[in-house]
Amino acid sequence: MLQQIKQWIARRRAGITGNIAPENTPKPKTPGDQLLTECRLIVLDLETTGLHPGKDEVIAVGAVAISVGAIDLSDQFDLVLRRPELDITQTVLIHGIGPEALTQGHETEDALLFLLEWMNGDPILAYHSAFDQKFLEKTLKAELGYTQNHTWMDVADVLPAFFPDAKTGGKGLDHWADYFGLEVSARHHAASDALATAELTLIALNKARKEGLKTLRELHDKLRYHRRLRNIHHN
Amino acid sequence: MAAANQDTTRPQNTRAIMVFLQSHAPFSNMDDDHLARFAEHATLRFYADGDVVLSTEDGIVDKFYVVKQGRIRGERHNEKADKTETTFEISQGECFPLAAIIGERPTRTLHRAAGDTFCLSIEQDAFITLISESEPFRDFCLRGVSSLLDQVNQRIQTGAMASMGSSISLSTPLERYALRNPIVCNPDLPVRKAVARMHENNVGSIVITDDVRHPIGIFTLRDLRTMIAEETCSLDEPVGQIMTKNPCYLPVQADAFDAAMLMAEHHFAHLCVVDEHKRLIGMVSERDLFSLQRVDLVNLARTIGTATHIRTLVSLRTDVSRLVDAMLAHGADSGQVVKIITTLNDVTVRRVLELNIKKNDPGIAFTWLTFGSEGRQEQTLLTDQDNGILFQTPEGMTDDQVREKLLPFARTVNDELAQCGFTLCKGNIMASNPKLCLSDHEWDDWFIRFIDASTPQNLVYSSIFLDMRAVFGPTDSLNELLDKVLARIQKNALFQKMLAGNALQRKPPLTMFRNFRYVTDGKKHSLDLKRQGLAPFVEAVRVFALANGVKNANTLERMSELVGKGIFDDKDANAWKDAYSLIQAIRMRSHQEMLERGEELTNLIDPNDLNPLDRRILRESFRQAQRLQQKLEITYQL
Repeated sequence: MLQQIKQWIARRRAGITGNIAPENTPKPKTPGDQLLTECRLIVLDLETTGLHPGKDEVIAVGAVAISVGAIDLSDQFDLVLRRPELDITQTVLIHGIGPEALTQGHETEDALLFLLEWMNGDPILAYHSAFDQKFLEKTLKAELGYTQNHTWMDVADVLPAFFPDAKTGGKGLDHWADYFGLEVSARHHAASDALATAELTLIALNKARKEGLKTLRELHDKLRYHRRLRNIHHN
Repeated sequence: MAAANQDTTRPQNTRAIMVFLQSHAPFSNMDDDHLARFAEHATLRFYADGDVVLSTEDGIVDKFYVVKQGRIRGERHNEKADKTETTFEISQGECFPLAAIIGERPTRTLHRAAGDTFCLSIEQDAFITLISESEPFRDFCLRGVSSLLDQVNQRIQTGAMASMGSSISLSTPLERYALRNPIVCNPDLPVRKAVARMHENNVGSIVITDDVRHPIGIFTLRDLRTMIAEETCSLDEPVGQIMTKNPCYLPVQADAFDAAMLMAEHHFAHLCVVDEHKRLIGMVSERDLFSLQRVDLVNLARTIGTATHIRTLVSLRTDVSRLVDAMLAHGADSGQVVKIITTLNDVTVRRVLELNIKKNDPGIAFTWLTFGSEGRQEQTLLTDQDNGILFQTPEGMTDDQVREKLLPFARTVNDELAQCGFTLCKGNIMASNPKLCLSDHEWDDWFIRFIDASTPQNLVYSSIFLDMRAVFGPTDSLNELLDKVLARIQKNALFQKMLAGNALQRKPPLTMFRNFRYVTDGKKHSLDLKRQGLAPFVEAVRVFALANGVKNANTLERMSELVGKGIFDDKDANAWKDAYSLIQAIRMRSHQEMLERGEELTNLIDPNDLNPLDRRILRESFRQAQRLQQKLEITYQL
């Protein structure tokens, strides 16, 4: 995949890709009549320096794509962004891509542009997505001036919506991963957590199909209903 | 920077999948680049419990799957029984559907998720690229599970071979050996001329043949020595008078193992090799077979068979263990090895009996019977005594009078066998037990009661007394007895059904979820390979054998005969034989290891100590035992 990014950046540097400006990246899609069995979904996880979007920064982005109901491992995103101002060595900015291959200073922008292009405007799922959404939106705005709204869905809402009776012993990713017996290869590694989240999403989508849910909108509505129900109980 | 580590350039999830694949065959033998190719082209799918993964109606198979988590069950509809049968189980790290993707056809078996399951898959084009580039992968895909079995056998052999350093195979057919052109003569030739002919050709033996070249006798220098020393015959008499009649022979298709076994049993150094019309075409000597080996089965058998003192026999037991190592090293499979052990045990038992007759002859002819595993010729190094005596009461004596003479003799024999390493039987199933030292009529009555009154205790004993063989003494009376017993069982449907029910008592150690079920007593996480692994095969096969008049007591041979009688399907029987032999092989290897560590031998193993391949094969073997038990259930409607 790094090869892909390198090539993409090289093309961009050489002006072959044309002028991809943030405003020219693919338009975010809204949940409509796309069939769940056919559409592409992004499952994403961020690694950050801390919990506060105000002062903390994104370290790494890991994401996989679910296409036609399966995780396609040839279509994934796994990149460590070390922000220069946070990095003591200030050299290797994009992990694995040597500084010699890049002109220092623009790596984060390029990587984020590539992420936007790769996501293709498809809906984004994440575990406790509000957190990832805030960080990603903040970073995109700061680096690229990008402010478009993407469709986000929280897998932490999706699971209890489809498995209301599951005794997971908690609400975390680990609780659900344990509940379904998943093996997470490297917990807290962005890409690895993204894959675990995607696997849980597949389990939920399988259940959704059996409950007769067909479209992205139906899924979106079910989540909204479920969230409202939960809020009522909490109040 | 130039020497950038390959690993860090691969995405975390690709690396994780590679690590997963590496712990399972055949991926464990594949190059990293090929594994990376697999991981990068893979798709991960989820199937909930009961979901269909692949159906016979899906058309030509276009994906190759590996189970990442969970299990896949193969289902076929059995028209006869009108029910769905599970034909296989595929669990973590295993691949499917091999035959269909290679044959570019639809699958013939419905694949269904058993429990929540994740599978990795690659498309057909990626599969083909991988097959053409990776040799271990190609080998696995084209030869399937049999290549896994080969890997296990290879490892058993290399392990044992490390200490031996030779690689001649006992499965080599005799025709591949340089057969000596034997010196022959006809039986009318005077001994003097026969010896002259041997002298001219500088050989130690001459084969006597009839007009059509059938071997009818053999005459050796040793016979000449005896003849002159004991003045049994003159040099001018025809050699036919003094030759050893009916020499042992084997067809040219037989292998070195058969020859070695025959020599070991009869203590011969030479065997005639004949063609399909039983015409002599050559000779094979002990030295031909073992020229490259240090451990010599025939010699060991002869040393045991001619030992003059019980102490010698005791000391020879370590040689038996060394020989087992050597045999495994030379490619003998577990079926061959248990036969070797049984043969050497037989020779030992015979020698102990001979020495005792010499010392203290009870004066009455008897047949020494063995039961259970020895009766089945399935002994391993861990063995105890199960024996009995069959006699014919001479006129003018009562059964009890004969018994009075035989019992003290049997007591000594049992004790001496114990010194030789055959543990005394805890259940007192020994010839020195008055209840098991019986005349032919008494045995017959005994079996009538055994079969008619099928008490639970009797059924437990069926595994001992219904696997019976003569080791010493005349065999005719045993054969007559066996004929009667078999005829009775064949007529007695109730007894068969009870036997079948009893055979189902011992379930293969797999849980509902196809994990290992451990023994409840003693150590945690251990499996009893004999009671949980082998017994289900032995017991089920016995029921089918007895119900169908198969006289042989050996489990593998019983299965072959049942195929011949059309009771077992050829393919099923082969799968069951393989499974049975593999459990036996793992058990024997573990015995050898315990012996090396100086531990007491047990049949318990912890499957976690096995490598993943052995564990997988063990699990598959247990599943075959379940299938065999299912056949029993259907046949006897249990």
